[in-house]
Amino acid sequence: MYFPKYTLVPETDNIFSEATGDIMYNPINWFPKFSLSSEDKEVIPEAPPHPEHVGVMRLSALMGALLLKNGGEIYRVQDTLNRVIDACGFPNHSVYVLSNGVFITINEGEPNACSSVRHVPLGAVNLNRIAQINQVSRDLCEGRIDRDTAYATLLEYEKPYPVNPYKMILASGFAAAGFGILFGGSLLDATFGFVNGMLLQLVLDILSIQHVTKFPSFIISSLFVTLLSGLVLMVDLPFSFNQVVIASIFPLVPGYSLTASIRELFNGDYLSGMIHLLDALVTAFSIAVGVGMGIRLIQMMGGGMLL
Amino acid sequence: MIAQTILHYFIQMTSCMVAVIAFSAIFHAPKKEYLYCGISGTIGWMVYWVLRDVGFSNLVINFTATVVLTLFSWHMSMHRRMPVSVYLIPGIFPLVPGSGIYYTAYYFFMGFRGMATAKFVSTMEAAGAITVGIMLGSYLIRFNLHMGNRPGKQKINT
Repeated sequence: MYFPKYTLVPETDNIFSEATGDIMYNPINWFPKFSLSSEDKEVIPEAPPHPEHVGVMRLSALMGALLLKNGGEIYRVQDTLNRVIDACGFPNHSVYVLSNGVFITINEGEPNACSSVRHVPLGAVNLNRIAQINQVSRDLCEGRIDRDTAYATLLEYEKPYPVNPYKMILASGFAAAGFGILFGGSLLDATFGFVNGMLLQLVLDILSIQHVTKFPSFIISSLFVTLLSGLVLMVDLPFSFNQVVIASIFPLVPGYSLTASIRELFNGDYLSGMIHLLDALVTAFSIAVGVGMGIRLIQMMGGGMLL
Repeated sequence: MIAQTILHYFIQMTSCMVAVIAFSAIFHAPKKEYLYCGISGTIGWMVYWVLRDVGFSNLVINFTATVVLTLFSWHMSMHRRMPVSVYLIPGIFPLVPGSGIYYTAYYFFMGFRGMATAKFVSTMEAAGAITVGIMLGSYLIRFNLHMGNRPGKQKINT
């Protein structure tokens, strides 16, 4: 059977109506005419679904974004990406990492050049994911797995991490209690800090379900915890108000951001260092605002007698 | 007297261990590494505690404790084939000046500006000492690695 290659081409002589897009306002187009043209259209060869360099770039961009999102340091991300792209056989590459984004270029100046920009918001630290992604990169560099397997594994790691909320609440309580003793509190203070730490994590969980952003939720939760600690002033037991509050707010303290920022500043990654430093300062500030509001409120309620 | 001191140290070590393991759970460390995270944090804190009892200054204490902690973390990371952050990030928390942040806010809101400034400066001092300690420890280890990375040997990818 022979079918001539006919293509349906709408005939519109009025180029302006096409240019403006108002085809239906032109009465010519109310009854569209079609003509049969047997011209062979030039067949554009379809690009292969995954050119090698694009595949490598997507793999490395995903790996860098995941590492950064889970709290990897700048030098670690940069080093990992350099190793992975080298191991995939593309020596001509450039990787630039900020604490907020990953920029990768492969084969610059060649016909098959490609580059990628990823925005990565600052997220919670997840050490298990960092260890897993490190394992993937190590396996890839030493040739134990191929790229498709690595990409599939990374896509698996992109899903939200399964978190047991009760475990988090309990861990927060134990952290508060332990640090209460370390910073000079008594066992009594630590016990109250344990309860406070658990309630703090509970409040944070509830606020995160309500999609409250980081800083308002920190202010609210530290205010809540300070007001709860005010209860110790009303009972006749040898509590120390300061120690109880220090223990309770300890799970919020920006220890990671502070050390990460100064380390990056000393490494020469000034921009990333400033981003983390600002994060730490604003976090500390919001904790301070919550605690200060709580202390003021307790003073007002107690008439300045309690503190 | 001695028994009391030993009991005191024991309570400190236990609570430090509990707190650091709790923090490694908050940071989702791998479950097999909880104990080693706790040990690294406890080592750093014990160095801190002993030096403070001897009577060194704030800077020296934080610096030395962090260097010891960093060396231990790198050692563990090479033995257990894990990134060094797994041990370093939870282990650094007992040294981070959390009470300094609180007291800065407390004095500021109570109206004692001088005390607040002093606390703020000492907080930043401790943070700086911790950072320099981490860097120095890492450089020591890297220097060692480079000396060990002669062509015949396998490169260590941390």
